[in-house]
Amino acid sequence: MPTHTPLISTQHLYKKFGEKAAVQDVSFDVYEGEIFGFLGPNGAGKTTTIKMIVGLLQPTAGSVKVGGYDVQLQPLQAKAASGYVPDEPHLYPKLTGRELLRFVGDLYGLQRQQANRRSEELLRLFDLSQAADDTIDSYSHGMQQKTALAAALVHDPKVLVLDEPTVGLDPKSARLIKDLLRQMAERGAAIFLSTHILEIAERMCDRIGIINQGRLISVGTMDELRGAASGEASLEDIFLGLTGGAEYAEIAEVLK
Amino acid sequence: MSDPPSADSKLWPLVWKLLRLRLLIFINGFRRARLRAKIIWGIAAILVLGFLGFAFFLSWTLLHFFSSPELSALIGDATPVLESVPALIFTGTFIGILVTSFGVLLQALYLAGDMDFLLSAPVPIRAVFLSKLLQAILPNFGLICLFALPVLFGLGVSSKYSFLYYPLVVLILSALALAAAGLAGLLVMLVVRVFPARRVAEVIGFIGAITSFICSQSGQLARWGELRSEQAQQALELVTRLNTPWSPLAWAGRGLVSLGKADWLAGVSLSGATLLVCGLVFGVTLVGAERLYYTGWASMQNIQRRRKVNRRQNGASTFPSFAAVFQNWQPSALPAIIHKDFLSLRRDMRNMSQLVMPLILGLIYFIMLMRSGNELSLGRGEAPPFVVDLIRSASAYASVGLALFVGWMLLSRLAGMGFAQEGKSYWLIKTAPVSPLKQIAAKFLVAILPTLGLCFAFLLLTWLIKRNDILTFLFTLPAVALCIAGNTGIQLAFGIAGANMSWDNPQHMQRGLSSCLGSLVSMLYYPLSMALFFGPAIAAPLFNLPLLAGQFAGLLLGGVFSLACAVVPLALVYARLPRLGEN
Repeated sequence: MPTHTPLISTQHLYKKFGEKAAVQDVSFDVYEGEIFGFLGPNGAGKTTTIKMIVGLLQPTAGSVKVGGYDVQLQPLQAKAASGYVPDEPHLYPKLTGRELLRFVGDLYGLQRQQANRRSEELLRLFDLSQAADDTIDSYSHGMQQKTALAAALVHDPKVLVLDEPTVGLDPKSARLIKDLLRQMAERGAAIFLSTHILEIAERMCDRIGIINQGRLISVGTMDELRGAASGEASLEDIFLGLTGGAEYAEIAEVLK
Repeated sequence: MSDPPSADSKLWPLVWKLLRLRLLIFINGFRRARLRAKIIWGIAAILVLGFLGFAFFLSWTLLHFFSSPELSALIGDATPVLESVPALIFTGTFIGILVTSFGVLLQALYLAGDMDFLLSAPVPIRAVFLSKLLQAILPNFGLICLFALPVLFGLGVSSKYSFLYYPLVVLILSALALAAAGLAGLLVMLVVRVFPARRVAEVIGFIGAITSFICSQSGQLARWGELRSEQAQQALELVTRLNTPWSPLAWAGRGLVSLGKADWLAGVSLSGATLLVCGLVFGVTLVGAERLYYTGWASMQNIQRRRKVNRRQNGASTFPSFAAVFQNWQPSALPAIIHKDFLSLRRDMRNMSQLVMPLILGLIYFIMLMRSGNELSLGRGEAPPFVVDLIRSASAYASVGLALFVGWMLLSRLAGMGFAQEGKSYWLIKTAPVSPLKQIAAKFLVAILPTLGLCFAFLLLTWLIKRNDILTFLFTLPAVALCIAGNTGIQLAFGIAGANMSWDNPQHMQRGLSSCLGSLVSMLYYPLSMALFFGPAIAAPLFNLPLLAGQFAGLLLGGVFSLACAVVPLALVYARLPRLGEN
């Protein structure tokens, strides 16, 4: 169950690329034991926000704390507490799956035996044992995605940040991810995930944030979002109502 | 719903549609390019036209000179050699296109990003194959025409051949190029059915780079000063031997020369036979493409799967290696990054070619150094004694200069691309709790350790064979190590400044002028640091000072300079690192 210790906290986060503001004044908290869904249309600023949380991008203004550590001022402590799965699993193509997991274990300072044990467990869990000694460039997209997920879990992070984690996964693997995330949250981890699959967000997430044109336009539980959207039934209706996609239904009618 | 096009009736319009798409992309790229880029394109076009005119004029004059009666009186009749020129050029064109097209077609037919789109569209596979083939050979064909056409036209003008000769030159060149590319395409389709396309591309890149490098450097081993006129004569005879009537490749040249000389029967039959054979080869290629291309493309996944199974059956994941040494260290980010880098470098053939080149160069320089012997040529003995002494002292360090140059090539790759080689996978390190200092230390060690190994091996071998003074040898070791350390710092700094972290092709790891500037600065750095290291040691005997004192002073001066060059640029790397990979 979510508690009131924030493991991810963003304060007035801004990011500009040249003149274009990708993220503007985004503030939210994700608590211990909570799964937080981050929704938004394409180009809304989801990935930019995520990259600032995990330390891949430096904010133009504002601050991010992960595990209680400021990502800019105490980056090593903040990064040690978190695991990240990007939207595109770019992994070292000439390493094998097993080598990659051990490499990540070493980066996070795990003891060799511990890293080996965790790697083997995760390879088995994600059904990658058979391909563990093949180089990653021979993996399919789904296998690479699963390897990236395994890499994010090697050090058993307190905070897990996932950008579109179920894209390219078969139903079995997608189900495994959902179960894993729920288990991690029950053990007290904070899960932050962005997704376009509203059904996943609706069923899995304790709270949902919706971002549009770089601004966080709504945050809350499903009930709170429904209340704010004057009783709209589904998350899809709420999302389309907030981000302005409802008019596409009319266009679809015309194309019929 | 629109009707699907019938495969054969619309082949050429579809090929044109696909080619037009490329043309459109090129035109759009040109239109949207900056004015500076457009001006450079314009200047390049004028330069190419100028080169064509110059090459034509030069060929015409030279070939005219070869056929002059005055020269014939001196070297004998040159007509057989001149008449063999077309056969030589056509043979070269065919083999050149065949060899170079293999790699290009492999990329275009199997590894291009648009294949999924094209194969899922209602376009016959033959049209896709043809358009890819034409796109792939066009640059190489253009390049060959740039050199071949002026020579062939120059031969026509100087030998006063008939007008039919000129259009037929273009026609036969094109036909031979298409036949060669078709054969290359067939070979690609057959090879890809057995080996994974990506692996073949890596091997081709490796072999191509090594072969061209060996060819370019092997000239240094030739003793041009000892070239005899008989050897030149033998080389010319080789040209005429290519013009044998039994070689189909010579038919084109012989036919054209016959047509030029108005020997119509021989000319028409030989040229016709050439065009017929080319047409047949191209036809077979098209039919083969219909059968092999799609099935080859579709079976690419199966090949990967087979390879994986085999590897598991062999049970060999890795073998003990230089990289594995670091795996046994206490686990931490520093050895982990070093281990990972060495594994990636060793396994990627595209990197290997860049790493093997310094080894080849080192071997060539080593042979040259051994050939020169221990005795120094001091000319006619007119130089003042102090100059002779100076040269003698400096020559003791000649091997150091060569070792540093060989090491510089390796270092340019390892340090210059140190951070850029992380590419899109850098997020794994950037999101991990690895301090910038550890990252820099890892990249520094990855670059300097193999370079030191190569340079020290070169110096040790040279010393073992030449048996120079051991004190001088021992002095060179720290001097070379410090010299390389300074250069590593410089190369890392320029490398990170121009790093392109979103590369797909390893040749695009760098962008902008940083890489060139880095090479320039590091090239300026070497003579300067060598002068500081070895200058005092070379000069000491001239001032009647002990050699050891000179060497000590050199180590002090050069050491301070090199360490400054190693550390100061690393501060720039440290400042740049947090922003690396943001764009």
